[in-house]
Order: sequence, then structure tokens, then C-alpha cells
Amino acid sequence: MTGLLAAPLFWLTVTLGVFEAFDALSRRFGRHPLCHPVLWTVPVLIGLLLATGTPYAAYRDATFPISFLLGPAVVGLAVPVWAARARIRRLAIPIILALTAGALTSIVSAVGILALFGAPDSLLASIAPRATTTPVAMALASQLGGIPSLAAMIVLFAGVFGAMCATPLLDWLGVRDYRARGFAVGVSAHGIGSARAFQVSPGAGALASLGMALNAVMTAALLSLLEFDDIRLHHILNF
Amino acid sequence: MLRAIFLLLACQLAGEAIHRLTGLALPGAVLGMILLLGWLALIPRERPALTAVTGWLTAHLAVMFVPAAVGLINEGDVLVTDGIGLAAATVCSTMLTMAVTALVFGWALKRFVPGGGEDAA
Repeated sequence: MTGLLAAPLFWLTVTLGVFEAFDALSRRFGRHPLCHPVLWTVPVLIGLLLATGTPYAAYRDATFPISFLLGPAVVGLAVPVWAARARIRRLAIPIILALTAGALTSIVSAVGILALFGAPDSLLASIAPRATTTPVAMALASQLGGIPSLAAMIVLFAGVFGAMCATPLLDWLGVRDYRARGFAVGVSAHGIGSARAFQVSPGAGALASLGMALNAVMTAALLSLLEFDDIRLHHILNF
Repeated sequence: MLRAIFLLLACQLAGEAIHRLTGLALPGAVLGMILLLGWLALIPRERPALTAVTGWLTAHLAVMFVPAAVGLINEGDVLVTDGIGLAAATVCSTMLTMAVTALVFGWALKRFVPGGGEDAA
């Protein structure tokens, strides 16, 4: 029996099973952002690891087949971008300006605010890629010397919060154009925001997915420039 | 189908190779995404299969980052000492980013796109 607990099959099965159960629950609650299955699957799995005395490294190795798919999934984001090429051409200037402004705002505000709280460099590096889709955020965080699992949870909370505040915030700002609304939700709240935008309208959802995919590249490029010159983020912000 | 899967892996592999050989700091998967975009623009043959495979992958993206997120099990100290700062920075940054992106997009739409670029969707 203890041998079974160590086999990849056990943790793969448990991970998919717990996720599927919360996914079914999330469907029943009309996909409310607070019912996002990852939000509930992670604490349950942590509880199971603690209860069985399984070290995280063993769990991570056992579930490698699931995590491995992240890479090809990111590569595949090229498909929706390519499908939206006519629209990208038509809206090129708003897309480029809004994307650049949004990506810069996200990095500077997240790192700046966290630095005000006196957080160490490893946390600043974990929050810098906050606006990108989770796998890209994890890759960027580890490159910058951050903590990938923390980056994953930050991105997740940003998505849940962004999906919930999008409609009231954008109404309050008086932004009525569905393309501006959708794109902003995708740039700031990635996949979870995009899922919410699709519930509002397919048009807004398409722009949100586009914003998410383009911001993965833009934030990666901006952070790479910072890293490439070996200038640490907090030096630029001069805190 | 198998060719589409091969293409995704090949683009990622090429992206990782470029990342390591050139010291370019973009992650391998992001470089792979740019390579796949080039492939889609130049070669039409695998488009339907790629759309099907990547549609499936994207639909199940959430479960794929569960194993990484469970790694929080080792970060309890960080959440205790810096949890409030992390929450404040995440909430404020998300709202600011959304507001700036929406306002700039809306402004640029009026300023630079004649007729508002209306489309079918």
C-alpha cells in the first residue's frame, strides 16, 4: 500500500479526480470566479500531502505528465492570435498602445507596491510577471530568481479578482466599447478574466484572449530587457 | 493530429534551443509561440489539426498548473510574513492595469481608427 502512494499513477489519479470534482462544482455555480477549481484543488491536495506525509518533490515528480503539457499549451496560444490577424491589423494602433501601457503599468505597480511593504527580491521577482498567463509567469519568475509556485498563486488570485471587478470598474470608468473592455480584461486578468469576458459576449471574449496571448509576449519581452541588462527591478524603481 | 502535436513540441524545442544558445531571455515556450505564429502564416496545411489540438490544451490549462501551485506547501513562511503586501500589490496592480489598458485602448480607438474599425463580432 505504501508502494502505491509513491507511484506516479496514484497522485496523477488523485489530482485529476479532485480537480474534476471542483470543476463540476464550479459549473454548477455558473463558473463564478470564486469557484475556480484550482483555488480549491490546491488546498485539498496540500492537505492530502500533509496527511500522507508525502514530500512535495515526490508529488511534483509523480505529476510531471500534467505539468509537462504547459509548454505546448503556451506555444499553442499562437493559434488564436493567428486567427485574429485581420482584427489585429485593423486595430493595430490601439492594441499596441494599450498593450504597452498595460504591461508597463502591471509590472511597475505590482513590484512598486510590494517593494513599499519591504518584501525581498525573490517576492518582487515572483509578482513582476503577475499579468501573464500562469505558465509564462512561472517561467519568468524562476528566470528572475522568484518562486514559481508563488507566481502561480499570485496570477490565479489576480485572475479571480480581475474577473470579479471588471464590470463595475469599467462601468465606473465609462469605458463602453466592448473591444476596449475585453482587451483590458485579458491584459490584466489573463485566462480567468477571458473566461468571464466570454460569458459577457463572444466579441469581448475574443479580444480578451488576444490580450492575454499578446501580453504573455509583451511582459516577457519587457522583463527580459530588464533582466538582460542585469538591472534589478527595484533599482529602476529606486526604493 | 500527431503532426500537430509534433509541431507544438518542435516549436517549443526550437524555442528552448534559441533561448539557451543566444542567451535571449524570453522563455523557450514564448519563443516557440512566436515560431508557431510564423509557421501558421507561411504553411496552411496543419491549421485545422493545430486548431483542434491547441483548443483542447487551452481548455484544460487550469489543471496543468495545479502541480506547480501545490508547491506553495513549502512557502508557508512567505505567506505569513508578506501575505498582506502580496495581496495589496496583486489587487491594486490588477485594477490599475485594467483601467490603464481600457482607457488607452478607448482613446486610441477614437484618435487613430477612422470609423471605429467596426467588425462583425
